[in-house]
Amino acid sequence: MDDLQIRRSILADPKNRDEALNSAIKAEPTKQKFAKEVEALDDNIIRAINVPVPDDLANKLILRQTLASHQQQKRKTRVRLAMAASVAFVMGLTINFMMFSSTYKNLGDYAIAHVNHEAAYFSNDDSPSVTLATLNEKMAVFNGSFDSTFGTLIFADYCRFDGSKSLHLVFQGKSSPVNIFILPNDEDIKFVANFANDKLQGRSLNFNRSNIIVVGDKKEPIAQWQDRVNHNITWSI
Amino acid sequence: MATKQVRYEALVKALHADLYRYGYWLCHDKHIAEDLVQETFLRAWRALDSLKDEKAAKSWLITILRRENARRFERKRFDMSEYEEATITDVKTISSEQDIENHWLREKIAQLPEEYREPLVLQVIGGFSGEEIASMLSLNKNTVMTRLFRARNQLKEAVDSEPTLRGLHNG
Repeated sequence: MDDLQIRRSILADPKNRDEALNSAIKAEPTKQKFAKEVEALDDNIIRAINVPVPDDLANKLILRQTLASHQQQKRKTRVRLAMAASVAFVMGLTINFMMFSSTYKNLGDYAIAHVNHEAAYFSNDDSPSVTLATLNEKMAVFNGSFDSTFGTLIFADYCRFDGSKSLHLVFQGKSSPVNIFILPNDEDIKFVANFANDKLQGRSLNFNRSNIIVVGDKKEPIAQWQDRVNHNITWSI
Repeated sequence: MATKQVRYEALVKALHADLYRYGYWLCHDKHIAEDLVQETFLRAWRALDSLKDEKAAKSWLITILRRENARRFERKRFDMSEYEEATITDVKTISSEQDIENHWLREKIAQLPEEYREPLVLQVIGGFSGEEIASMLSLNKNTVMTRLFRARNQLKEAVDSEPTLRGLHNG
């Protein structure tokens, strides 16, 4: 190791000397003196470089971070709330869609389901309680009227027929009540002229603005009922 | 969340002083140094999960601070000339002899060329080896060692040519 190299090594990193350097320094008093000088200088450099740090800097740093992450937290909460609201909104839409959209493929399926659902409320022995005037009052919504009640009318009222307002008439039949539905033409649900299941059968008639559906049990002359409806009804438009 | 907070606070307490000093020697301004440290730790908080090795924390933070400092120059270019003079305004009253010495030496360190000063500060404050400084500054190790040597050599020459300054010669 030559002189210059030793001086360079000492100056470059006075605190970390390897064996070779240490022994080279020990061998010569001038180098020892130089090394000591540099060490002293380095101590001063360290003192000089270690400038005083503001006392409260650490606390300031922690405070600033706490505030910043609190802001972030608030923003996150807001985002979460917005997301929850969106989910609720979509669920609302879905439920709405499911409740009020056509769940049955055609008029017949729905008519049969409706009749089955309300079968318990009507009996064939119920006394007639609806007059022609009341019936026609209700029919006014559909712009139609009947010339006579063409049978024993047990019940007549509006009800919801797969999402649209319809008029539900119940007549006394041979063995069980006959149901007649008057409902507006609805493009969402498929029109079928004839339908049946193992107990019930039905027919639909399509008028300009309305459909009239007749549903009764297998013994009932549905075609005859349909004729009666057809003959008695007058549409005002 | 709690553990992240604890890690962060530990990091702040252990390293804020070194970081502040490093920042100070980069910009020679107490207030800017403080801002730099603030910005550095905020960034550190956001990226704290990416810090896997706690031992590497110091060099990681120093890297963030260097980038932050560089960004400062991007933002306001014309301020650069101010730092050429390397004037350090020490508002503290100089009381003892040691303080006078420190003050004098600080000025000399501030007058060192930037490329010599930075490795020296990293070595003294960070306790980094030549290799570590080299990788931080993207230099090779020999260059770093040469710069360290030149930095101390210039300071030594300054000290040797200042006869009024006592204490440095005698060890």
